[in-house]
Amino acid sequence: MIDVLVAGLRANSCAVTGPVGVDEARAAIVEHVAPGALVACNDDVPIPDLTDALRDRGAELLPPDDPAWFARLPDAAFGITGSRLAVADPAAIALAAAPGSPRGTSLLPPSHLCIVRVDDVMATLEDAMTMIAARELPSALTWIGGPSRTGDLEMVTTLGVHGPRAVEVILLDGL
Amino acid sequence: MSAHDGHAITTPGADFRERTASAVADPVLQQALHNLDRRFRTASEAAAAHPGRKERAAAIRRETLRDLDGWLDRLEAALTARGVHVYRAATPAEARRTIVDLARARGARTVVKSKSMATEEIDLGNALVDAGLTSIETDLGEYIVQLAGERPSHMITPAIHKTLAQIRDVLAAEANRELPVDREALTEWAHQRLRGEFLRADIGVTGVNFAAADTGTLVLVTNEGNGRFCTTWPRTHIALMPVEKVIPRLADTGVLLPLLTTHATGQSLSNYVTMLSGPRREGEADGPDELHVVFLDNRRRTLLGTKYEEMLACIRCGACLNVCPVYRNVSGHAYDAVYSGPMGKVLTPLLSGGAEGTDLPYGSSLCHACSDACPVRIPLGDMILSLRADVPAPQSAPRRRRRVFWTVWSRAWATPSGYRATTAIGRISRGKVPGLRAWTATRDLPRPARRSFRDRWAEEHR
Repeated sequence: MIDVLVAGLRANSCAVTGPVGVDEARAAIVEHVAPGALVACNDDVPIPDLTDALRDRGAELLPPDDPAWFARLPDAAFGITGSRLAVADPAAIALAAAPGSPRGTSLLPPSHLCIVRVDDVMATLEDAMTMIAARELPSALTWIGGPSRTGDLEMVTTLGVHGPRAVEVILLDGL
Repeated sequence: MSAHDGHAITTPGADFRERTASAVADPVLQQALHNLDRRFRTASEAAAAHPGRKERAAAIRRETLRDLDGWLDRLEAALTARGVHVYRAATPAEARRTIVDLARARGARTVVKSKSMATEEIDLGNALVDAGLTSIETDLGEYIVQLAGERPSHMITPAIHKTLAQIRDVLAAEANRELPVDREALTEWAHQRLRGEFLRADIGVTGVNFAAADTGTLVLVTNEGNGRFCTTWPRTHIALMPVEKVIPRLADTGVLLPLLTTHATGQSLSNYVTMLSGPRREGEADGPDELHVVFLDNRRRTLLGTKYEEMLACIRCGACLNVCPVYRNVSGHAYDAVYSGPMGKVLTPLLSGGAEGTDLPYGSSLCHACSDACPVRIPLGDMILSLRADVPAPQSAPRRRRRVFWTVWSRAWATPSGYRATTAIGRISRGKVPGLRAWTATRDLPRPARRSFRDRWAEEHR
């Protein structure tokens, strides 16, 4: 199932790392982020000490409870989020809006890093929707297949039209 | 939805027949339409991979239509319980007024729109401009079409009728500087320009792909992320929902979403699917403070219980356009209507109460490719044929001539003497009947036998 997810995400132009443990995941994220960059990071990222590691890297953090979050998010270079669940076929990751997990982190920055726990991967969208519909729904549940794209220019796919041009998915091993 | 309503006319002609002729004669349009072949192949291959889905989806849509009013009441109750404001608009004028009043009451200046055929149907963009607001289409194709002063020619790819060079010309005119004929560069320019609009917008307007009655959830499908922006950044989100978009259960999207996107673009799922259950909640940093949903009827409910009821099962995937031999040769503007292709031929006369598009059902080869392609099994070909009988077509000169021909023919062949006289003329003229050139230009008229069966029978049984 994880192989199907990885193949599907790659076919959608995502970069995929893992499955890896938390230390490797933290290292992969830190390595990805450019020093000096403004990084928006949601609270639902399941990696302890990530913000300290990013600060050590020289990144400037923009947490969701920052009073300037709304004004500064358009300038962020990276958005880091967790996820509620993922589906292997069709390959997609679902992000739930919540206090501490705003919608814009996975939308405005040109690069989105998303952490998915392998325990949260389901086989099909039908399974996932049956489970989701039976639980308390978030104000926004956003399914993401890969980088923002358009087919409007002579029906050739072009990336990065409104949302992120790059999506990196980091799969996190079961704990 | 009236003819032209201020949009540029790219495919001229007084009726569908004349407009199809000018579309076929337009070399640049024909070049642009070649791109449709690619979509057609990927989408039909992807759709064939899951044969069982069509039946399940068709069943869900018919279950909805059996009690449409009941599901709408349940949806309204569920939305209201989530703090969503619901309005019911019987006509396009009512829907326009509701949305314009909401915008005015909030002192809004800029509205960003995510591509929605329903907003095209009520001509919302012009209504907002007339009310003194700036209305920006944010789907790239729809933005190009808006800048060109046109209307979408395909419900999934609105600018399919334009080549990259034409798109460059439209965007360069707006940018007021040179832009290269290069997809990446043009996309980057549009990204920068529209990002500014998103950040300044007061209101986001979207359509709705599905609305789940059990949970009060609105489902939106996009690839670019403009639908996400319209529902994330502006303080107010207004969704326009044609009444047939309701589905009984949120879990039904597990079947309907992959079906919609495979038939629309060949993707197993669109890049983004947004499921909204109410406005922003306490403590959330973004999302709209207010969420308003306008249910649009516009004669849809009058189709319930008629032979056209199943048209309301349509999920607007565009598969019938992509396979239609007429659409593939003439593109959407020839239809001079919001909805084009086979579904447009059915929907346009029905939604206008027989006032518009009544000649569209005649411009069909009745090949039924649309019926076969439809993911929810709407018998489009049968409906096109029925509409020829049920909706009186405007009287054109060829149609009048045809009626005279059939009247004379049916009277003549009603009597043995009339039959003998006319077939004798046919034999003498050897099938070269004047006035039949339009028919015989592309077909062979069978040559009549030298001697008629009646003559031979009479001779042999003398």
